Amino acid sequence: MREILRWLARLSPIFVLLLVWEAVALAGLVKPFLLPAPHAVAGRVWHDLASGQFALNASLTLYRALVGFVLACVIGVPAGILIASERWVRWLAEPLISVGFPMPKIAFLPVFMLWFGVYDLSKIVMVCFAAIFAVVAAAEAGTRGVDKFMLWSARAMGASRADVFREVVLPAAMPQFLTGMQIALPVSLITAVAAEMLMGGAGLGGAMLAAGNYADSPGVFAGIVETSVVGLVAVAGMTALRRHLLRWHAEFNPRG
Amino acid sequence: MSKSGFGIEIEGITHGYVPRSGKPTVALDNVSLSIAPGEFHALLGPSGCGKSTLLFLIGGFQKIQQGTIRTARGLVSEPGPDRGIVFQNFALFPWKTVIENVRYGLEKKGIKGSEAEQRAKHYIDLVHLSGFEKAFPTQLSGGMQQRAAIARTLAIDPDILLMDEPFGALDAQTRRIMQEELLTIWRGTGKTVVFVTHDVAEAVFLADRISVMSARPGRIKRLVSAEFNRSADPTIHKSPAFNDMVEQVWEMVRDEVDQARAQGH
Ligand SMILES: Nc1ncnc2c1ncn2[C@@H]1O[C@H](COP(=O)(O)OP(=O)(O)OP(=O)(O)O)[C@@H](O)[C@H]1O
Ligand SMILES: [Mg+2]
Repeated sequence: MREILRWLARLSPIFVLLLVWEAVALAGLVKPFLLPAPHAVAGRVWHDLASGQFALNASLTLYRALVGFVLACVIGVPAGILIASERWVRWLAEPLISVGFPMPKIAFLPVFMLWFGVYDLSKIVMVCFAAIFAVVAAAEAGTRGVDKFMLWSARAMGASRADVFREVVLPAAMPQFLTGMQIALPVSLITAVAAEMLMGGAGLGGAMLAAGNYADSPGVFAGIVETSVVGLVAVAGMTALRRHLLRWHAEFNPRG
Repeated sequence: MSKSGFGIEIEGITHGYVPRSGKPTVALDNVSLSIAPGEFHALLGPSGCGKSTLLFLIGGFQKIQQGTIRTARGLVSEPGPDRGIVFQNFALFPWKTVIENVRYGLEKKGIKGSEAEQRAKHYIDLVHLSGFEKAFPTQLSGGMQQRAAIARTLAIDPDILLMDEPFGALDAQTRRIMQEELLTIWRGTGKTVVFVTHDVAEAVFLADRISVMSARPGRIKRLVSAEFNRSADPTIHKSPAFNDMVEQVWEMVRDEVDQARAQGH
């Protein structure tokens, strides 16, 4: 109970903002078309929930985002480890990453549509491509940063090189792997929604695109709210996973 | 175990570092030293004189550039569980609890289950960490982490024990207890110990012989026989003979510390 109260208290700035927004809308200071009142948006969200429209769109978007995200992790973590441990791979990959990281990845969407069609596959590839850079970069930094004395200790206790990799490098770099994933997860959701908005069809982004085309501003705002909630829940899940996996880590055992 | 077989022969070791930026350093310059089987040997010298480097070379962690190091198992070229090491920064596995850390080396030796549990408990007890078996290293103080690292290394029962300022993070009282504990283990097992320290009294108290090293480039400047530890006398620290010895060794170290200061350490 106390937990819930504290949580609500932390969200109070948002409630204040909503109240101001509602007051502005009720006073008729702006046209409802430009800024629909919160109660109108809430009504639309409720309607989407009740009609099953939300469940349908959200699960489609989540499916695309999560499959792309998991692919990015499954490919990106080993790639990062390889780049950190093999000189020639590093030589090959480093310039590609430096060019690719700051690039607006969504610009590749037309290319992926050409290659992979206009359905799920191109969107999933788009998500994976957008998300993978953070995963690779963090995995590389994590692997390279493992304390050499830890590696030496393991060797001096009789661990083979393969043991050291499995039993020391992987767990020691785990916090960084997770950091990469934590950056990549919202990127995946953003990219999935953006791809849907550009390509149309079902999904949270597609629904917003349609609402925009029909000049249905409560629908657009409802889409924004729904997307944010999905993002919040996903990020909270990821944080909980980190907390669980890194019980041993200093960040959860603060001293003093 | 009798005191036979496991000495260390160090011959003509020269070792340099070439950092990516900055100028190359000669850390050790033509160091030769013969450590007898079962000897307790202290390396004493100013910061940056190459004590850790020499220990790492004996451990087989760094490639030998020039010279040779030989133990009973032959030429050193790789790390191995015959040479246990306690690092200056502990190097515990932070994702493992204290007892899991201690069990790691035991499991590598093929000791598992309740026997591993028992042995691990024994060494945790020895370093006075009972009750903290299930704690993670991040939940321990620096001195407790250091003791956990010592337990982890003792547990694998190495022939040669390499210790890099292993008591540096301990308070004076715990330090004294750990020194005596280490001597007891050493007497009981006949291990060859190479013990790095800054502390002259600690070296005189513990070691059979002390190598006093010079400031960069590291050389062995003097070899001193101390052999106070044989007496196991608790009042030894107050005896005039002990204090004379400490004073003498201090004189040798002082010049080197001054030189090291002048070099900017
Ligand atoms: N990885 C490295 N790269 C470059 N120089 C190094 C490296 N490791 C050590 N050195 C240099 O080699 C010299 C000897 O270092 P070492 O760590 O062996 O000294 P030490 O006697 O153990 O010092 P301390 O008592 O402070 O631990 C130092 O001058 C140090 O700057
Ligand atoms: Mg050192």
